[in-house]
Amino acid sequence: MLLPIRLLAVLATSLFLPLAFAEHTNNWAVLVGTSRFWFNYRHLSNVLSMYRTVKRLGIPDSQIILMLPDDMACNPRNAFPGTVYSNSNRAMDLYGDNIEVDYRGYEVTVENFIRLLTDRVGDEMPRSKRLLTDDKSNILIYMTGHGGNEFLKFQDAEEIGAWDLADAFQQMWEKKRYHEILFMIDTCQANTMFSRLYSPNIIATGSSELDQSSYSHHADNDVGVAVIDRYTYYNLEFLENQVKDLSSQKTVGDLFDSYDISKIHSNPGMRYDLFPGGADVARSRLITDFFGNIQNVEVDQKENGALEEELLELGRTIAMLRQKEADEASQYNNATSVPASQPTEPVKHVRGATALTDDNWWTKKVVGATALAGCIGLWALGSFLET
Amino acid sequence: MRFSSSISSLLTSSLLLSTASASSGYHEQLNLRPLPLSNLLASFNFRSNTSLADFESQNFRLFPRSLGQILQYAGTRELHLRFTLGRWDAENWGARPWDGTREGGTGVELWAWLDAETDEEADAKWLTLTNALSGLFCASLNFIDETRTIRPVVSFQAEGDHPNTTLANAKLLHGVLPHEVVCTENLTPFLKLLPCKGKAGIGSLLDGHKLFDASFQSMAIDVRPVCPPGGECLLEVEQTIDMVLDISRSKRPRDNLIPRPIQGHELVCDTSKSYHSDSVCFPVDHLQSQEWTLEQVFGKSIKGACPLTEPGVPPVCVDVPHSRSIFASEGSTEIKSQHSDSRCYKLASEGDFNLVLTQLDASSGDKELVEPEQPLLYADRSFTGYGQEHGGVQAILTNPGDEEVEFVYMESLPWFMRVYLHTLSTRISAASSIPTTSAETSAEIIKEIYYRPALDRERGTQLELLLRIPPKSTVFLTYDFEKSILRYTEYPPDANRGFDVAAAVITTLSPRKMNIRTTSLLLYLPTPDFSMPYNVIIFTSTAIALSFGGLYNILVRQIVGADEGFESPVKSKLKRVLATITRRLAG
Repeated sequence: MLLPIRLLAVLATSLFLPLAFAEHTNNWAVLVGTSRFWFNYRHLSNVLSMYRTVKRLGIPDSQIILMLPDDMACNPRNAFPGTVYSNSNRAMDLYGDNIEVDYRGYEVTVENFIRLLTDRVGDEMPRSKRLLTDDKSNILIYMTGHGGNEFLKFQDAEEIGAWDLADAFQQMWEKKRYHEILFMIDTCQANTMFSRLYSPNIIATGSSELDQSSYSHHADNDVGVAVIDRYTYYNLEFLENQVKDLSSQKTVGDLFDSYDISKIHSNPGMRYDLFPGGADVARSRLITDFFGNIQNVEVDQKENGALEEELLELGRTIAMLRQKEADEASQYNNATSVPASQPTEPVKHVRGATALTDDNWWTKKVVGATALAGCIGLWALGSFLET
Repeated sequence: MRFSSSISSLLTSSLLLSTASASSGYHEQLNLRPLPLSNLLASFNFRSNTSLADFESQNFRLFPRSLGQILQYAGTRELHLRFTLGRWDAENWGARPWDGTREGGTGVELWAWLDAETDEEADAKWLTLTNALSGLFCASLNFIDETRTIRPVVSFQAEGDHPNTTLANAKLLHGVLPHEVVCTENLTPFLKLLPCKGKAGIGSLLDGHKLFDASFQSMAIDVRPVCPPGGECLLEVEQTIDMVLDISRSKRPRDNLIPRPIQGHELVCDTSKSYHSDSVCFPVDHLQSQEWTLEQVFGKSIKGACPLTEPGVPPVCVDVPHSRSIFASEGSTEIKSQHSDSRCYKLASEGDFNLVLTQLDASSGDKELVEPEQPLLYADRSFTGYGQEHGGVQAILTNPGDEEVEFVYMESLPWFMRVYLHTLSTRISAASSIPTTSAETSAEIIKEIYYRPALDRERGTQLELLLRIPPKSTVFLTYDFEKSILRYTEYPPDANRGFDVAAAVITTLSPRKMNIRTTSLLLYLPTPDFSMPYNVIIFTSTAIALSFGGLYNILVRQIVGADEGFESPVKSKLKRVLATITRRLAG
């Protein structure tokens, strides 16, 4: 039984290769604010603070999808034109001189958000408005707005449900559009939004439990409204103080451990069960895996070389076995007692594994159809006899 | 010539630019012109060009590649894109810079000549163009759909030098988004198109914080082919920014932008008032000339000359009377124009450049600024009427000059504003003494009408009127319309704010060509109570539950009289027990 074991080993290596080299090669961020109107200033400043953080850690504008439903910076009510502040000390202008907003105003809708995630867009859609991820992309998805039990309002006009989001993620997974996702949401009853997710490789975190509100942190008297939410504020505090640059070794677990309920005033939630390896593996992921732009290089040549070598070896074995088979066939008369070499069976297996042809599929269909027809026939006979 | 010197200087400088633009290269110029009431007009102009042969072989040097590829992909011959915010105050500030040709209506305006044999092909290319530009300029230009697109007949003429054959095969499409906000995210890609990216040259002055604090600002991008006589044809991209800054507002420090009352001892009082005393003050700081520097007004100084500019064109020009003294940074050279109140500065290649305009002594009698030129026309447009069903539009067009003005008045109206064209009428009120009756003049004023009626949810109204206004008179142009009721899902999230109606575009044909745009209008449509459907759903569900429950009970349960019904087993058992007991007792 030496050969089947070897075959299995080859198959196993080829199957588990992606897991063995489970590294992402690019980072993307989808930052979504969902509230319109001036008094929701804080939601836009939440999103923009996140935008500044991921940009600080190196994700370029071309890989950030920023959705801002309203214009706060140039709003006539804003006493500081062209600026958005997330702190009343007004030390940092979040709008700055260099900003690219991909979806704004009425473009921020549930439909556009789901189309963006699943990349179901028309031909005319420009590349800057698309999420051009692949199966090696780590995505940070940050959402903020007003929500409730298993829904999040968009622009006070429509809602996205937890199931909608879960199905969108599942479709992304099926289309190999992500490697790992960190889903972060700051809204009332936020944890309900990720309760329905069922796709693998997702770490989710939210600001508050079912029946809990998320609160704003503080207001700026000159801006006239609250400028940031508590959960985002303390996330940022951690990111600013602990994650200074890309070489930071802080993990997602460290970030989650930094949440202080007495400061946030609600119970932040985390979800690790979708992640292979569970909480330990999920918590050990680096912050910069999601917030930073880590460009791991995947060397195709090496992997393929190894695989090719294996295949070549396999081919040689097959050739050898065929030779053996031919020899044996020629010596069939002589060989009265067949030794324990099983040349025919494994060779068949190899053929099936390498070339997936349609013939096999059709035979399977035919077998299935026959079985089904037989069953129906039996049932018909049975019912006929019964009557 | 009634041109005042300021405009002519602007014109000469633009002429200078256009003659220089014959060669392949890049030019930039900033024109500063103080306006009355302590305002300052800053006109930035950037031009770069490439030969058509280079463009077609995708060999971009100074021409922005990102824009060039979009133009090639969408088959665009000529493109005009405008981002505008605020209102040009013609009464105080006079005629518009660039004769209004570099200005758009509030929001975003786009018009382009596309290579297309048929209208369908033009529509397909227009869709490609608007979407690609929306990605490039971070604006919702993809919302320019069929309902917001028109095909103007007389208002717009191609600016570039096109061979007749290409223009015959090109279709003009015009789209406008009056609701679109213009903000820093639009300026960012605008600056990235410049060869010096706003890091050096006059582009380094541009900053979202000042630009979007302006009383009026307009960003324009124009792409057109230019064929100098006897030379190779070039494709020219011209980027223009006009902004009107309130000097005292701009001088406020960044960290203390909130206007707070001035301390008593800092007030500048008008001592000529009869009631002026120690306790009574009439502040004059707003009316008096101020000292200002480039750095104060723009928040930063120019970071040296852009090394890619052609050395022939001075980058900074100021239009103030020669009597007012200006100090410039070291290393720069001043060139005073002989025949106009303009002076220009050549910058040193390195080091910051700053300008200081000194305060003028009121007693000297010198003019502080060049008097603004009177525009050809004043235009105002507003809604009339009341209620949620009908309304009217009134445009007041005044010709202040001594010459008759012929112009095209163009409106692009949304489909939910159903225009009654039969109510279109004009009334003339002449400042001159000749009395006129409206019946006679109406025919005389409106020469031609180009009209394309709206189709619900498919296209908007396009109205172009060729009008003529006699000198020193005002024309009132009015028409009525009906407001449609939209479907529930067609209302935007902020429906109660109202719906923006794009600015009317006025293009004068004689005595000279210029553009004016009115302000956009805010149209109130009847809006439903958006929570009503939920009430309806809840009520209907309750009603259905009640009626279904009743009906179900009637259908499923058997109803019998109390005496006919089966006895309950307990009762019958009790009865039996009772009966046996009574029998026993009796027996």
